[in-house]
Amino acid sequence: MKQTFAQAISSTLSEEMRRDDKIIVYGEDVAEMGGIFTATRGIYEEFGAKRCISTPIAEGAIVGSAIGAAVTGLRPVVELMYSDFQLVAFNELFHSLGKWKFMHGEAYKLPLVVRCAGGYSFGAGPEHSNTFECLFTHAPGLTIITPSNVYDAKGLLRSAIRSDSPVLFYEHKQLYKTKMEVPEEEYCIPIGKADIKREGKDVTIIAVGLMVSKALEAAEKLEAEGISVEVLDPRTILPVDKDAFFESVSKTHRCVIVEESNKTAGLGAEWAAMIQEELFDELDAPIKRVASLDVPLPYNLGLEAECVPNPDKIIAAVKSLF
Amino acid sequence: MKYSKELIADMYKELLSVRMAEEKLVEIYALGKVPGHIHSGVGEEAAYVVPLMTKQDGDYSKFTHRVIAATHAVGITFNEMFAEILGKDTGTSHGRGGVNHVARLDKGIIGVAGSLGVDTEVAIGAGLSAKYLDNGRIVYCFNGDGVHSRGNIHEAWNLAAEWKLPVLFVCDDNQFAISANHKNTICVPNPAADRAVAYGMPAKLVHGDDPLAVYDAAKELTDYIREGNGPAVLEVKTYRWRGHFEGDQCAYRDKEITEQELKKDCIVNLEEYIRENGVLSDEDMELMKKEIALELDEAVKFAESSPEPALDSVYLNVY
Repeated sequence: MKQTFAQAISSTLSEEMRRDDKIIVYGEDVAEMGGIFTATRGIYEEFGAKRCISTPIAEGAIVGSAIGAAVTGLRPVVELMYSDFQLVAFNELFHSLGKWKFMHGEAYKLPLVVRCAGGYSFGAGPEHSNTFECLFTHAPGLTIITPSNVYDAKGLLRSAIRSDSPVLFYEHKQLYKTKMEVPEEEYCIPIGKADIKREGKDVTIIAVGLMVSKALEAAEKLEAEGISVEVLDPRTILPVDKDAFFESVSKTHRCVIVEESNKTAGLGAEWAAMIQEELFDELDAPIKRVASLDVPLPYNLGLEAECVPNPDKIIAAVKSLF
Repeated sequence: MKYSKELIADMYKELLSVRMAEEKLVEIYALGKVPGHIHSGVGEEAAYVVPLMTKQDGDYSKFTHRVIAATHAVGITFNEMFAEILGKDTGTSHGRGGVNHVARLDKGIIGVAGSLGVDTEVAIGAGLSAKYLDNGRIVYCFNGDGVHSRGNIHEAWNLAAEWKLPVLFVCDDNQFAISANHKNTICVPNPAADRAVAYGMPAKLVHGDDPLAVYDAAKELTDYIREGNGPAVLEVKTYRWRGHFEGDQCAYRDKEITEQELKKDCIVNLEEYIRENGVLSDEDMELMKKEIALELDEAVKFAESSPEPALDSVYLNVY
């Protein structure tokens, strides 16, 4: 059946909620409105106000209370509308969500998911466009997932909900309306496993989220010019599938990392260091990073496009390795 | 007498236990036995122990950084408490959390955030699950005065009040947040009780040296909460007898005021009541003190002789 990314989210949530009555959904505008990106549409109608609640604007309390509820028997799936607002709850996410079990003991399991919508979306401006996985990869104890398409979103969200560890789940705003053929039956995609979206032998492009489709576009063009590109989608950002990274780079000997977060101290900074640390002898060229410019994302559409990665920038980076 | 002898005797024994444990912590800290810092709560015991006298099976509690010995009131043993404070493998979180995070989920303890205020948001989540699962449990959420300036408290209060969650917010106003006198930093005289009205919550204000007043107020408020009316606020006025941390010389405080405040002792006052009403004899009380002293000595011995966590277990409970 064909589903949009948003439908994949809402249908998976509904299916899981039917299966397990400990799952509750809350966040800003998730109930009657069905979420501002429609990702929770239908849940309030089916499960009612007890299990689907629109909250006040209180990101800290949304995340904090989810921790308390998870520790005492529920399995909350809460939403922070924009990834940018995670910073309002940075303390709750970084210290509490990541460390509660460590600080208090093994009984303190946190089976909860914090969903949010991130990424640039044409004029949303500096504080409504951020891509923040990189901030939280620094947090011991967290699991971070960023699906790049509808199929992955469905399978990964199901796994995230069923996991007994706290998960940050990043959805890209530009992906919500994209459609894809997905199985009718339920399926889980394992957490911590990357996916080769395109096989190749001359260079590995590691790409995250929306950047996967940009990388695939670049790969098509490069193929025509005789460069065979392998596109690797980590899917789980933390803990990252190191083995998959190493297997691919050992095969191609060249690597470009494409992310939407800013370049400085972004995901690429971590992964480039990780790869060259252990796989130095396999590399025939330095690892290049294609990332957003180190500026707040401008409101002006032309400037915004100037800042973010695109297939041309990716192609240029790949070519510079040869 | 308005109260049963059993209630008064239990209250006295627990206050004594927590007081003596807090004193023991100060003692072993001075001997260099404690890694890290402790925040002594001697003198403030009634703000924690007495509301918990209204606790029923299954109820949750969230403590704070001071009077951590009060976790004994919900079933933490002195052995595991002192072992955790000494960072040993036999502690409640195997030495990972230490003095600020003594907790056991099977005793209903939600945990404490090192970053105060956040854990109040966590505590209301336990209220959310209690209400959702309809298990009749309530949450005892303890905080000092200082943290009531943090936004988290206000987010938690609004959400708990709006969702009518079964939470008793207890404010132990010992008047100081490190060196900050609450008079100079908090815009109202009673940081919790004065502001509860803004959130539509009932509030009571009592003094921490009057344990029976604390009990009456806690009983009334928890009855209200148990009837499904939503959260309530209990503010207990105390005074921080010692420094914020051990070693804090408190040069910023008026010594004369402190001397006067040290005379306001919940245990001395309860002993007076006990004698007047024939609840316990002096011998009974002496025996209690001896038993608790023995228990505490055993706990220190247990903690000291417990093993350190294995160095290769450094990744335990991270995920």
